[in-house]
Amino acid sequence: MTTAETARLEDLAYELRVKLVQLCGTYEGAVHIGGDLSAADIFTVLYEYAMNVDPDDIRMPERDRFVLSKGHAAVCMYIAMAIRGFFDYDEIVRTYGQLDSAYGMHPCKVQLPGVECSTGSLGHGLGLAVGMAAWARQQGRSHRVFTLIGDGESCEGSVWEAAISARSLGLGNLVAFIDRNKQFMTQMSEQRVVLEPYEDKWRAFGWNVIEIDGHDMSQLVDAVDALPSSGSGLPTAVVCHTVKGKGVDFMEGDIGWHAGSVNQRDLERALASLRAGREELVK
Amino acid sequence: MPVTFNFRDMLSARSVMGDTLDALGAAHDNVWALTPDIGQSLNEFKRNHPDRFIDVGIAEQNCMSVAAGLAYEGAIPMVVGMGMFLTMRAFEQCRTDIGYPNLPVRIISTHGGMVSGGGATHYMIEDIALMTSIVNMTVTAVSDPNMVRDLLTQSIDVPGPLYIRLSQGKADQVLYQPGEQDYTIGRSITAREGSDVTLITYGELVAQCLDAAEALAADGISARVIDMFTLKPVDRAAILAAAEETNGIVVVEDHLAYGGLASIVSDTLVDEGVAPRAFRRLGIPQVYAGFGGPDELRDKYGFGLAATIEAVRQLA
Repeated sequence: MTTAETARLEDLAYELRVKLVQLCGTYEGAVHIGGDLSAADIFTVLYEYAMNVDPDDIRMPERDRFVLSKGHAAVCMYIAMAIRGFFDYDEIVRTYGQLDSAYGMHPCKVQLPGVECSTGSLGHGLGLAVGMAAWARQQGRSHRVFTLIGDGESCEGSVWEAAISARSLGLGNLVAFIDRNKQFMTQMSEQRVVLEPYEDKWRAFGWNVIEIDGHDMSQLVDAVDALPSSGSGLPTAVVCHTVKGKGVDFMEGDIGWHAGSVNQRDLERALASLRAGREELVK
Repeated sequence: MPVTFNFRDMLSARSVMGDTLDALGAAHDNVWALTPDIGQSLNEFKRNHPDRFIDVGIAEQNCMSVAAGLAYEGAIPMVVGMGMFLTMRAFEQCRTDIGYPNLPVRIISTHGGMVSGGGATHYMIEDIALMTSIVNMTVTAVSDPNMVRDLLTQSIDVPGPLYIRLSQGKADQVLYQPGEQDYTIGRSITAREGSDVTLITYGELVAQCLDAAEALAADGISARVIDMFTLKPVDRAAILAAAEETNGIVVVEDHLAYGGLASIVSDTLVDEGVAPRAFRRLGIPQVYAGFGGPDELRDKYGFGLAATIEAVRQLA
C-alpha cells in the first residue's frame, strides 16, 4: 500500500461523509448520521480496498459478500456503494425514504438486489454471515464474507451464538468489522452496559482479533492486509475504535446525534467542519 | 411396571423424516440439514452428507439466521428442532431473516401441542398462531407419518419458507394408504365422508377425530372429518362446503383455541359471508397446563375423544 493510495482512501472517506451530510440536509426524516459517520472509514476501506466486488456484475459468484448487521447504517452503505459505482448517488438522495424507493433506513434485498441481505433488526447479521461463509466453505470457494457489527448491537445474545458457530465451523473466511464507538442510542455504553474488556470477549470465543483506530486509514489497510487466508480456521474480528459523528465537530460524541436531520445552517456548519478536516488531511 | 428406555429411543421413531431428509440430501446437493442440538433423526443425513450438516448447539435464533444465510446462497436448509423453541425463541429470526426475504427454509418442528410431557415450558401451543402470521410462510401439520415424506419432497419446489408441524412423532398412526393419498400443499383431505357434522382438525388429532366419527356412526350420526394438513394457505372450499353441507363445524386442535385453526376457519367463513349452522372450537383454553400424558391433558381441557364425540352429538 502506497502513501498515495492511503491518501486516496482517506479522501474518499471524506467524500462519503460529505455526501452523507448532504443527504441528511435534504431528507426531512431522521438519518442515523452519528453511526454512519463513525463507520465511514470502515465502509471506504471495505468497498474501495478490501472486498472483491464488481459493480458491473453484482452477482459475480466469486465476489466477497457483505452483510450489514448494523442495518441502520444502510445509507452509509448505499453511498459507499454509489462511490464504488453500484448506485447513482443522486437517485439515492432524490428517493431516499420515499414511497416505493429502493433506498430506506434499513437495507432490503427484495427492493434493492445490489445488497446481499435484508437486515435492520440488530444481532442478526453475524448469523447470516455464518450461513454464507459455511456455504462458501462447503462449495470450496475462496471468497470472504464480511460483516459490520455495531458494539451496541453486540448486547444481543444472538451475536454470541453466531460467534460460537463461526469458531466451531472453522470459518476463517468470515471477517467481522466492529464499529466500537462506545455510544448507544441513549447513553454512552460503559455508563450503563459494561462491554469492556471488549476485545477479550471475542478472543474468549476463539476469534482472531485485530484492534485498531477505526479512523486511521493506514491501520484499516494494515488490518485488511493482515487477514488470515480465507482457508484458515479462525474467524477474524477487526475491532475498530471509532467516534460517533466523526468528522463533524458538533456531532462528535454528542448523544443527541444518533439520528436526525440538519437544517441549512447546520448543513453549512457540518460541511465546513468536514472541509476543514479534509484540508488538514492534505497538509 | 416402567419399561426401560432412553432419550434416543424416544426420538428414534421420527425415522420417516430422517430417512426422507437423507434421501433428499442424496438427490439434491443444495439440501442442508440444521439443528439446535436435537437432531438424532438427522444421524443418517449427518453420516452421508457431513459437509451439509450443521448443529449449532442450543441456539435456535442463530440456527435460523444461519439457515437464512445458506438460503441466500441457493441452499435449501431443513431445520429440525423442538417446535416451541424454533417458533417462539427464534420467532423474529423466522419472520425477519426468513419470511421477509422469502427464503426457502424448511422449519420442521417436533412436539406439536401438549405432547412432550415437559410441562408448560415445553408445550407447543402457539406455533400455528405465530407461523401463520409470518408473511410468505406456508404452514402445514402432519397427521400421518408418510405425509412427512411427501411434504418434504414437495418442498424442494416450494419457493418460499415452509413450516411443518409434527406431533410427538413417536408413535403416529398410519391413517392413509401409503402412496395413495394426495398431499398437495394447499388442499385438505377428507379423511372420512359425512353429512351431519364436520370435524376439522390436523396433526395427531385427525386419528382421534376418526375414532370419534366411528363411535358416532354406531349411533347413526354421520361425521365428516377434514384433515386440514395445510393451515396456510387454507383450503377455503372445504371449509365453505362443511358450513353449507353439514349441520355444524367442530374444530379440534392441540393448540390454543384462539389463534389456531379454529380462528382460521372462522375468519374464512366471516370473510366469505357464510354462517355455519353451528360452530364449536375444542382446544386449549387460556391456561398453562401442568404435567400429564397427552390423552390426559386433552381430556382435562375438553378436546379429547369423549369431548369430541359429545360436541358432535350436540350439533347433530
